[in-house]
Amino acid sequence: MAAQGLDVERGPVRATPKIRLERVSKRFRLPRGRELLVLDGLDLEVEEGALVSIVGPSGCGKSTLLNILAGLEPVSEGRIWVDGKEVGQSEVRVGYVFQQPRLLSWRTLRGNVLLPLEEMRLPRAEREARADRYLALVGLQEFAHYYPLQVSGGMQQRVAIARALAVEPEVLLADEPFSALDELTARRMREEFVRIWQATGRTVLFVTHSIREAVFLSTRVVVVTRRPARVYLDVPVPVPYPRAYEDDRLFALEKEITREFLRMEERDGPHDVRSAWASRE
Amino acid sequence: MAWKHWSFRILGVTGMLVVWAGAASMLPDTVLPGPSAVLQTIWRNLHQPETFYHIGVTVRRVVVGMGLALVGGTLIGVVMGISRVGEWVLDTWVLVGLTIPAVVYGIVSILWFGLNDFAAFVAIGISAFPAIAINMWQGVKAIDLSLVHMGKAFRLCRRSLILKVVLPQTVPYLLAAVRYALGISWKIATVVELIGLSSGVGYMLHYWYGLFSMRQVLAWTLTFTGVLVLFEFMVLKPLDGWVTRWRPRVST
Repeated sequence: MAAQGLDVERGPVRATPKIRLERVSKRFRLPRGRELLVLDGLDLEVEEGALVSIVGPSGCGKSTLLNILAGLEPVSEGRIWVDGKEVGQSEVRVGYVFQQPRLLSWRTLRGNVLLPLEEMRLPRAEREARADRYLALVGLQEFAHYYPLQVSGGMQQRVAIARALAVEPEVLLADEPFSALDELTARRMREEFVRIWQATGRTVLFVTHSIREAVFLSTRVVVVTRRPARVYLDVPVPVPYPRAYEDDRLFALEKEITREFLRMEERDGPHDVRSAWASRE
Repeated sequence: MAWKHWSFRILGVTGMLVVWAGAASMLPDTVLPGPSAVLQTIWRNLHQPETFYHIGVTVRRVVVGMGLALVGGTLIGVVMGISRVGEWVLDTWVLVGLTIPAVVYGIVSILWFGLNDFAAFVAIGISAFPAIAINMWQGVKAIDLSLVHMGKAFRLCRRSLILKVVLPQTVPYLLAAVRYALGISWKIATVVELIGLSSGVGYMLHYWYGLFSMRQVLAWTLTFTGVLVLFEFMVLKPLDGWVTRWRPRVST
């Protein structure tokens, strides 16, 4: 169901997007009155139920974008819309999957999934039923009473996914969630992730530095430029799910996007050492 | 293996007893009585109800005073850890509190509150709180900020963030603080009892000191040390194991 209505026909008549960012800018203040412009009037629309990947050079502000949606960083300019309604940053209900699992090691796996649910005004029984449901969805119901340090890194990351989904978010944010895993585990996790995403029909914004991963997972791939980040390329991936890693269409698309990516890098010139330094201050 | 570490513990204790007995055999009884003489005295003391009364009184002073120090020290330490302003305002006071000799607190609170238990509670509480505050301050500063970000992203309110994400991370520091505070508290308790009170282990030490009985001084010291060791093994160690049960054990 999620895969329908996603052929991105860029026509004038379109359904209201789930999430819409309008000219979002983000400046960080640096010492001695300098400023670092990280996002420069970024426009982005994410359809309901889509899995949109954002690919860009490292340090380009991809994570900043997710942090803005999560309300962790205030925006400098711009507006955010959810279901056609303008909202404040901290009003977007998000689930966040980080690069590291970021679980509380003194809580059981179930306790970790329950953590955000305890903040929502839900009856206890409903909370627990929900936690169990999402643990089962990621295949960990038998490990519910284990502690995070007793299970593998891949399992920990699955708990993190269950935790993010359990809040039933308007948008699921994922920040390179598989990059800290070994490649075989990461592959299995990507397949799992697609299955889980399809089972829940959630809208997903997925940040990665891997074009291959983006193409394999997404309904749409958005390439952003080096800082300040702007949308450079926005391509749909018209391949039905479940996808195979060896699919030639994916491979062709990966090559094409990589070529565009390199062209963009060339256009932007050699890496600016000074601005790299500035960001570290 | 459980028996293995116990055998090493026993080895440590016997080693100390041997050194003690050796030294005692070369010195007169009034300077250093041997372990057997002291143990006999302890045994005789334990048959007198008065002994338990004095131990009980001191234990109560230590527990209440330490409780005050724990509540106050934790509160101040956490405030210093999470707020810059709190740190600026409070760190001088905590350092000053740590520097002032504990005897001063004892004297001052007896002068203020009289020769009673309340004076002991206050003196112990104030003496022990800086150490706890410093431990908790460091504990809060050492927390994993990425977990706090996680909590914020999942919209945990400030109270939940502190109770569910920040404080649990400081538990090891809190346990260290309790151990430290326990050592300080009992030392201050004896000092306060020695200068102004007419009950407790400190009072008995003072009494036997007046009679030049080295045997009884050592007997009382060891008896109360035994109480503290018992507390460590019966309360603190099991508690430690329980609050860190999520940590996989390092096996050797």
